[in-house]
Amino acid sequence: MRNLLQITLLLLTILFAPATVAADKLKVYAVNYPLAYFAERIAGGQAEVVFPAPPDIDPAFWMPDAVTVTAYQGADLILINGAGYAKWISRVSLPRLRMVDTSRLFADSYIRVAQTTSHSHGPGGDHSHSGTAFTTWLDPRQAVQQAEAITAALTRKRPAAKQQFESNLESLKSDLLALDERLARGTTSAADRPMVASHPIYQYLARRYGLNLRSVMWEPDEVPSETRWAELAQLLKEHPAKWMLWEAEPASESVERLRSIGVESIVFDPSGNRPVAGDFLSVMLKNAASLEDVYR
Amino acid sequence: MIDSIYIAWRYVSYNWVRSLTLVACVTLIAVLPLSLELLLDESERQLLSRAETTPLVVGAKGSSLDLVMNSLYFGETLPELISMADAEGVTESGLAQSLPLYVRFKARGAPVVGATLDYFDFRGLHIAQGRNLALLGECVLGARAAEKLGLKSGDHLLSSPESLFDLAGVYPLKMQVVGILEPAHSADDLAVFVDLKTAWVIQGLVHGHTDLTSVTDPTLVMDRSQGNVTATAKLPQYAQITPENIDSFHFHGDPADYPITAVIALPYDDKFSAILRGRFVAGEQPLQIQVPGEVIEGLLANIFRIKSVLDAVILVVGLSTVLALVLVFALSLRLRQREIQTIFKLGCSRLAIARFLGAEIAIILAASALLTLLLLGVVEHYDEQLVRTLFIR
Repeated sequence: MRNLLQITLLLLTILFAPATVAADKLKVYAVNYPLAYFAERIAGGQAEVVFPAPPDIDPAFWMPDAVTVTAYQGADLILINGAGYAKWISRVSLPRLRMVDTSRLFADSYIRVAQTTSHSHGPGGDHSHSGTAFTTWLDPRQAVQQAEAITAALTRKRPAAKQQFESNLESLKSDLLALDERLARGTTSAADRPMVASHPIYQYLARRYGLNLRSVMWEPDEVPSETRWAELAQLLKEHPAKWMLWEAEPASESVERLRSIGVESIVFDPSGNRPVAGDFLSVMLKNAASLEDVYR
Repeated sequence: MIDSIYIAWRYVSYNWVRSLTLVACVTLIAVLPLSLELLLDESERQLLSRAETTPLVVGAKGSSLDLVMNSLYFGETLPELISMADAEGVTESGLAQSLPLYVRFKARGAPVVGATLDYFDFRGLHIAQGRNLALLGECVLGARAAEKLGLKSGDHLLSSPESLFDLAGVYPLKMQVVGILEPAHSADDLAVFVDLKTAWVIQGLVHGHTDLTSVTDPTLVMDRSQGNVTATAKLPQYAQITPENIDSFHFHGDPADYPITAVIALPYDDKFSAILRGRFVAGEQPLQIQVPGEVIEGLLANIFRIKSVLDAVILVVGLSTVLALVLVFALSLRLRQREIQTIFKLGCSRLAIARFLGAEIAIILAASALLTLLLLGVVEHYDEQLVRTLFIR
């Protein structure tokens, strides 16, 4: 009888153990994929990391609905990128004490984007819409600092798992620093070679590796208007770039026309959203390989 | 004895106007000081319980009472404003967590409390109907505020302008009511809660309007220079935040400079609390840090000083009323000399007559005691609301 009772208890334990562990997991929500990836790597099995943005949008310009905002509100930790990334954060209600601004520690190094439009009206007088470059993780050393901020936040929430978090952080840091080294090595030979970016999102990458990069405002899935082509032609006169960096695979017409004026296209995916295949690191390694082709 | 009571009862009933007047006088003498005592006890309980669960309040230097009353009970006196950077400063000290509050505006008479969602966790406020704040422009109502304003989840509430004469001021914001809180039996029940950012929208610091770069009406644009568009005051701003226009709402300037009225600081432990308080005392910053429990205890000490004066006044009034009652009884006895003589001639002893008169007084006192208990029961039942209506508004 006693044996039967013990077996029953054992079976019950096995049956309910996974549910208990799942319920015990920290719930971590992130505003972009790089942060979600870092959190997944660092937390391991200690957290359920959620990045709820749909796959076909840029999370920087996404606006979640009230239901998704409510889901964010229920998280133990909300990882935000800082540097003005995901403007929707300023238009919703989130628990401030559970938000972790992962780039806060290097806020002094944010790159201010030259203001494009400013205006004034009403009682507030003159105002300007100056911006901040927000793809902070494209400088792998900054990405390491963001990963460290995530580790600190996870540790505050679950001090018992500190060692596990730190060990996982070391592994992630090692990957990110290896990526940094590869990017540095790949671009060092001719970093001052003129390049054009299809979108102004590579500021931190350019600063880190000293790239001579200027930007236009083109969308990969749209063929630019004649005005845009004229603007590019004007830019190329003073900045004779032979390569254009795209955030995603560009339209073939754009690629062909660029080729006709002597500009080749490469993709450097900032990986703001979850990739269809692979993960953050594999996408970044692919980006590094593409850059190596340019600077060879 | 029963006979004496019966005769006394018949007499009291027959002279009901006189009897009721006497009962009312005696009841008032008893009810007034006892009710005051009950209400003061309740106000002390309410004030202290909320104050004691709020560890520290940081605000601009000035009246500590105004700061605490505004932050805890949403009092009408607005303390000097501080900025979000001050709230960040408390967090960055590593000694405490911070809950910024902006209690400045009103909506149909109810205080609009700008806070972050952490405030709801801190006060243990739960949604009874609808959902919590999610998007800019939404509000959640305290249980009594919803009842008073006659609003439910899905309705709209317009913020009140700070001054009726500020014609060029900010438009009132039409807020969507998304939830009603469970009764908390505190000042939170009377409030309209919005996100801090929505409070700044009410103030006009965060606003939304049509894209200025695509405006074609020349009367809306004062100047277009390189990269700069200056709009005229005619440019309409959105007075309601909808899914269609929410993306156009934007901050001007650094959000760290945005105003708040106070920060509730939640120190990690007593030692951190002492260090944090020490920093404010030693520092030259234009901020004060207060322990709400101490401020409210000071307030209550003043209330009790006033109470002792009131007690003395009531004692004097009570004494004079008792003397008046004695006079009424004495005069009544003189008026009743003939009927007392008749009773005596019928064969009743002087003791029996004394018993009749004693029974009359006993009936009046018993009726007064009963009425006093009844009234005190009513006061005790409604003491929470009475205190909020009379003292803590």
